[in-house]
Amino acid sequence: MKSLFVFVCLAALPVLAAPQQFQLNLDSVAAKASEHVEVSLNASTLQFAARFLDANNPDEAKVKKLIAGLEGIYVRHFTFKSTGAWSQADLEPVRAQLRGPEWSKIVGVVSSEEGENAEIWLRTSGNKSIGVAIVSTEPKEITVVNIAGTIDLEALAELGGHFGVPKVKPPEKGHKEE
Amino acid sequence: MDWLEDELRRALARQEPPEGFAERVLARSVRGASDARRWLAVAAMVVVAAGAGGAWRQHQGNEAKQEVILALKLASAPVHRIQSEVRGITQ
Repeated sequence: MKSLFVFVCLAALPVLAAPQQFQLNLDSVAAKASEHVEVSLNASTLQFAARFLDANNPDEAKVKKLIAGLEGIYVRHFTFKSTGAWSQADLEPVRAQLRGPEWSKIVGVVSSEEGENAEIWLRTSGNKSIGVAIVSTEPKEITVVNIAGTIDLEALAELGGHFGVPKVKPPEKGHKEE
Repeated sequence: MDWLEDELRRALARQEPPEGFAERVLARSVRGASDARRWLAVAAMVVVAAGAGGAWRQHQGNEAKQEVILALKLASAPVHRIQSEVRGITQ
């Protein structure tokens, strides 16, 4: 009976730990960063937080709608004091996982002038999108995000300009879409 | 009628309470008051604990909310940038 109980617990572990869809193994980046923000929110924390989001506040209402049904949000954000403090090789552990068959890159933007790079990867199961990965790099910043569940990317982009996020103007030159 | 008067006199005659009666009555009333105070203290503790629990829950909820907002703020910035870049290229 004891062994059965242990088996049941072990069998339940992947289900409990499942939401994060790839390992955010960025220890080498963290070691070089001057600041490091780590946010890991599972489904129950998101549901709990949703109860405290004010539906009468337009910004919070958008967030509440956006996170409804999500299984997790995992963010690693690094800031560096100087350019050249990190290299693309530091992100290889993450990119290697995103090259797996369940992930497909839907869009990527490279700015050669400003040294900025942003990619969105979609995880699908059957015909359904079940997760998003975002890898964004700037000379002094790296952001890696995994959103488990189905999220409206248009609505997520719309959050830019809210909560202190500056709106970005369309580029004029030196940018290419992958 | 004498027997009736005798019976009444005997029945209504003043009687001294048993030994320690007054002390027992006093002790019981003091115990009652102390029980009431104890229950009052327990009730007050329950109210304070419930209030503190509610405040702690509110605090945790606000922290979770701030973390969600921070996570979406960090996630939305690159998506918004990509959207703007793509719109700029396609226009």
